[in-house]
Amino acid sequence: METLSHHLAFFTAAGRILMGLLLAAACASGLWGLANLCCRAPRLPKLSAPLLRTATTLLVAGFLLIAWFHFEIHQLLPLALPGELVPWLNRQLTAMNQGAAYGLPLYDPAAPPRYVLPLWIENEKYFFWFLCYAGMALVAHRRLTHHRFRGALLLLLAVQVAILFFAANPFVEPLPRFFAEVRPWFAAADPGQQFGLFMRLYPKMTFYYNAHYMWFHPPLLFLSYGAITLVFITSCWMLARRDPAVEALGYDFAKFGFLMLTLGMLLGYPWALQAWGPNWWWDPKICSSIMLWAVFSTYLHTRLYANKPHMWYFSSLLGILSFVAMLFTFLASFYFPGEHTFQ
Amino acid sequence: MRPRAASYDYYLILATVMVLFAISALCVYAMFAFKLAQVQSLAPAAKLAHMERLNHIAAPLIIALITLLGICIPKRLLPTNWLNRFAVLLLASAGTVAAIYGVKAALLVILAASLILQLAVLVLAVTASGLLRFERSGYWLRLGSTLMHLGLILFVLDLFFFRQRLLHLALFWTTTVATTSGMVFCFYAHPLARMLQRGKGSGEEAAPPGVGS
Repeated sequence: METLSHHLAFFTAAGRILMGLLLAAACASGLWGLANLCCRAPRLPKLSAPLLRTATTLLVAGFLLIAWFHFEIHQLLPLALPGELVPWLNRQLTAMNQGAAYGLPLYDPAAPPRYVLPLWIENEKYFFWFLCYAGMALVAHRRLTHHRFRGALLLLLAVQVAILFFAANPFVEPLPRFFAEVRPWFAAADPGQQFGLFMRLYPKMTFYYNAHYMWFHPPLLFLSYGAITLVFITSCWMLARRDPAVEALGYDFAKFGFLMLTLGMLLGYPWALQAWGPNWWWDPKICSSIMLWAVFSTYLHTRLYANKPHMWYFSSLLGILSFVAMLFTFLASFYFPGEHTFQ
Repeated sequence: MRPRAASYDYYLILATVMVLFAISALCVYAMFAFKLAQVQSLAPAAKLAHMERLNHIAAPLIIALITLLGICIPKRLLPTNWLNRFAVLLLASAGTVAAIYGVKAALLVILAASLILQLAVLVLAVTASGLLRFERSGYWLRLGSTLMHLGLILFVLDLFFFRQRLLHLALFWTTTVATTSGMVFCFYAHPLARMLQRGKGSGEEAAPPGVGS
């Protein structure tokens, strides 16, 4: 654990500088966004692209820093057990695996299990989510030049960075839950205690941290969340004015978001069977995800008839409702107990 | 934009939307019911009873969704007046099977009929047959829409067989491939057609892209 402390210090210090710069860029973006959203004439129109690019570049840099830190955890924190415990442990694991649909791999002393932490756990998930939004906002910014629309894009990015800085900064106290779990393991003095902790850490490592579904299920959903946020902006815009270019842009993001959402949800299904068994139905998070999918699917279907009277506005309202459903689905993990809970 | 007259498709979509809305409402209720009853800390038997109760509430909605799916599928093959007859025939057959063998068997009949018809639609869509009736034109759009609906049928079938692990997972991965490729073909029909027909002049996709329901 001591070997990681230097890397941890560097990660925190570099992250602090990066987040400071990001907050400065977000403040400038927010002010630009607010000014342009409120004014009829564009204010400093050439500034929006550099601001958006700077914020996105800083988010990418932060994401690379997180990736580096996770790589160091993989290299420096193996769950290595003393050799005399290995035969006993493997007998235990073999007994546990009997009759189980999905078993735990046996311990190999030559290659002790190592954490392959996904880049979107704990507070890092917000970082990835908002990075997805920033990338998509860049695309939207390039396609539409209206200063008020661009103002809305930048203002929302500023709000997201503010949330990241003040409430979900992944650099201030990196991975608190993960370190709270593994710290006792590295502090354990006697082999018996280490064995007990191993039996607690190893299943979670196998079925959660190192599960390959973790590299598909959450990031696809965060990509869809970014796209739904863009759908929200275009839907609000559509309520205010009938602009086919904005509708087309919103629809492009809706298609991408729906594809990511569907694929992300589907890929969570075999993982849930593996980790929790078949009795996961009516889990609150899954209920809310199905609701989000149904609302978003309804939005896409009504969009087919957007040229019918009133359907333009109905479709826009459903776009906004999809965003509300997305927030509800995400926040459900905090409020509702269940398998997905973040409490 | 010129307003279009209401079509059979439109009403089927409206009906589907209503059922999806009811399922969404049930999902929201289930979340609060879970929280209020503290289901996570109940004994396994009480947990199971909670799930059974919600399954019973959801069952009519799922039956409605499967029936709508069964009515929706042949619209690509039959004219509207025949569709009404087909819907009546399907419901009568399902009702008869339900009376003799139970609701589960009736749903399986609807799903099997839907699967056979949708596979026929898929073959016709792949061969670009003129026999298919789509509101929108374009090879990839039609193929994508067909695959998406095939994925939906397979997904419901997958839920039916969830206790048979191997069949369940095989159906699940087929569902995932069909749905995902269907969405890609349907949503990105224009770029796909352009990419494949580059150098051959203008693409075949004439209509604007859509879900292609």
